[in-house]
Amino acid sequence: MKRKGILVVGLLLLGLGLSQVGPFRARLEAAVRDGGTEFARVMLAQDKAQALCSQHRDRLPANLLPTFLAEQRALIQYPEGGKLMGDWRKGQEIFTDPRRGNCYACHSGDPDEVAYGTIGPDLRGYGASRGQGEAVQRYVYEVVYNAWAYFPCSLMYRGGVQGHFTPEEAAHIVAFLLDPGSPVNRR
Amino acid sequence: MKRTSLVLGVALTALGALFAYTQGQKPLDPFEEAMRQRQMYLETFGILPGELYVEEGKELFYRKGPSGKTLEACDFGKGPGVLEGVYAILPKYFPDSKRVEDLETRIHTCMQKVQGYKPQEIKRDEVRAITAYVASFSSKARMQVVPKHPAELAMYNLGRELWYWRAGNRDMNCAACHDRYAGRRVRLSPLRSPSQGLGSEWPAYRFEADKLYTMQDRLAFCYESIGIPKPDYYSESYIALTVYILAEATKAGHSFEELPFFTR
Repeated sequence: MKRKGILVVGLLLLGLGLSQVGPFRARLEAAVRDGGTEFARVMLAQDKAQALCSQHRDRLPANLLPTFLAEQRALIQYPEGGKLMGDWRKGQEIFTDPRRGNCYACHSGDPDEVAYGTIGPDLRGYGASRGQGEAVQRYVYEVVYNAWAYFPCSLMYRGGVQGHFTPEEAAHIVAFLLDPGSPVNRR
Repeated sequence: MKRTSLVLGVALTALGALFAYTQGQKPLDPFEEAMRQRQMYLETFGILPGELYVEEGKELFYRKGPSGKTLEACDFGKGPGVLEGVYAILPKYFPDSKRVEDLETRIHTCMQKVQGYKPQEIKRDEVRAITAYVASFSSKARMQVVPKHPAELAMYNLGRELWYWRAGNRDMNCAACHDRYAGRRVRLSPLRSPSQGLGSEWPAYRFEADKLYTMQDRLAFCYESIGIPKPDYYSESYIALTVYILAEATKAGHSFEELPFFTR
């Protein structure tokens, strides 16, 4: 009887212990809260994928990759009607706008734009060298909408998933990169 | 002597013109552009904007607070009244406030605890100017941020965690740019990692903003540009990140620039 009592108390204590956040995590959250409600609200609203990338310093171990990629792929939405290449002129606007695509921060695109970043691949002539085939369109669309479905924890943020553009607008960006008439592919 | 410098000047100009000609389409280098602007300021006004902030900060430093004391009574890490080289050893743990403080937070603390100001009476711009004044005593000083006290080690660990902390609708953290792509450019701005000396230029006058930026201002700017609202000034996130960045830069043997620096 007495032994059973000890076991129950022990199990309760174990459960209590496991349900607590670790002391380091608690200290970290306190430090973040010290920065004020707005900062804490965004910092502590990490989703599961952001938390995994942070925990693994942006390099996921191989055993986590299949689930991570599948979950990110499932977040991709497609335009109604399934047309993956839209209007390159509209795409150019979103690509350029710092509050939306902000793509020039990391990529080149229109060869006339000289204030481009060198972090991501050089996109000048992207469509001219790859064509506009169905597979190319799909790949570009999916990377633009959710880069983490191909490159886990990449610097390239999940523009579509995070609502910086709609599926239709993602298709416009695809057109800006692939359409032969777009300045990206101008000779 | 004069003729030698004239000849040298002409030769340099010619070399510069040749360089500009051969480079042609090369985009503007932000560092070169800042140095050009700095030179223009010196030639036009005979003084750099940073020096004006230092002058203002000096006046505020020797202003008596409600307690009748000036900031001479504040211990910035090497004893009350000592300013030489203190910026290079901060952030550090202060037994009187029982926390790790960077220079701006220390000024904020001393204005309350030593000078008797109420928190709402302390203007951010005044803290900026005083930061510029005190930091000017560590111009080109070798960085010496080496966490030793348990509270300093804790801040270093928190800072490293925040460095990798991805959040916000841009899915960003500091490391994804500054570690992985150090040496590349965001638009035209070169990226540096802590071990390449990130943090060595603050406090600095930014001519694009026409304002003095402290390290906290610069970190706030970073957070805002990756879609995360900036933390309240003097809060732990700034201090933790500063400890992490400057400790890594210290390990790599870096020194501060001329402080306050002049940059874009």
